[in-house]
Amino acid sequence: MTKTAEHTELREEVSLDRPWVTLVWDDPVNLMSYVAYVFRSYFGVTPKQAERLMLQVHNNGRAVVATGNRESMERHVEAMHGYGLWATLAKAEE
Amino acid sequence: MSTLRRFTPQPDGMLLGRFEAIEADLLGLVTTQLLEMLHSGSTDPQLAASDGVFGRLLPDAYRDDDEAAAEFRRFTATGLLERKAQNAQIVLDSLAAGEPDAATPDSEDRQPVTVSVDPDAVQAWLRSLTDLRLTLADRLQISPDGVVNLATEDTPFLRELYEWLGMLQEELVYAIDV
Repeated sequence: MTKTAEHTELREEVSLDRPWVTLVWDDPVNLMSYVAYVFRSYFGVTPKQAERLMLQVHNNGRAVVATGNRESMERHVEAMHGYGLWATLAKAEE
Repeated sequence: MSTLRRFTPQPDGMLLGRFEAIEADLLGLVTTQLLEMLHSGSTDPQLAASDGVFGRLLPDAYRDDDEAAAEFRRFTATGLLERKAQNAQIVLDSLAAGEPDAATPDSEDRQPVTVSVDPDAVQAWLRSLTDLRLTLADRLQISPDGVVNLATEDTPFLRELYEWLGMLQEELVYAIDV
């Protein structure tokens, strides 16, 4: 491994920036079974985690389903829109 | 009421779907309408902007930043609409390739249809059923609490269709969800 210095630098740079999050919002249309399925199949979370996230969307009106840099959150949001889920991205709350 | 399962997974990964002839017709009809709507949205952005259903099919990616939301839309809308149209086309192709049961000599009714859906097509079906339901929910003026606000003579039929599509989607999720 020869890139340790570079990696450390990158990590510092990332940690200075507040990360972004992907939010999925509750809507009256999408079925709970489908939303849980999307979380499982797209984000690769366990059925238990998917169920918990889905219930969070259902009960709290929204859930943070991913955290990371802006570009990858935009990618997730686009994918969620492909599934027909109502998703947005935002800077993570402090 | 049929006791047959709607979707039956096969050992080779295919899913066999069973539909009454009238169900297959209906699904084909509404999916054709969805496809036309998606095409008109792609070719006429102005129409897309004025039709609320596109606001739900392609929601704002940023809630508090109109500029970023517009930018996101500029970069993603065309691709998303194209993929949604492709998904609808895949559903239509599956239905078109559906095979009716052999007719019994004394029956005048049309026979139930078996539709084969491969794993890629299942993904298209799931998404397209969602797009259909989102579109119908917009037409039915379903409010955030789930109440149907449209009150016309079409309401009962549209509502039944909306619920049937939801049932179909749930059956599909359960069939592939092992």
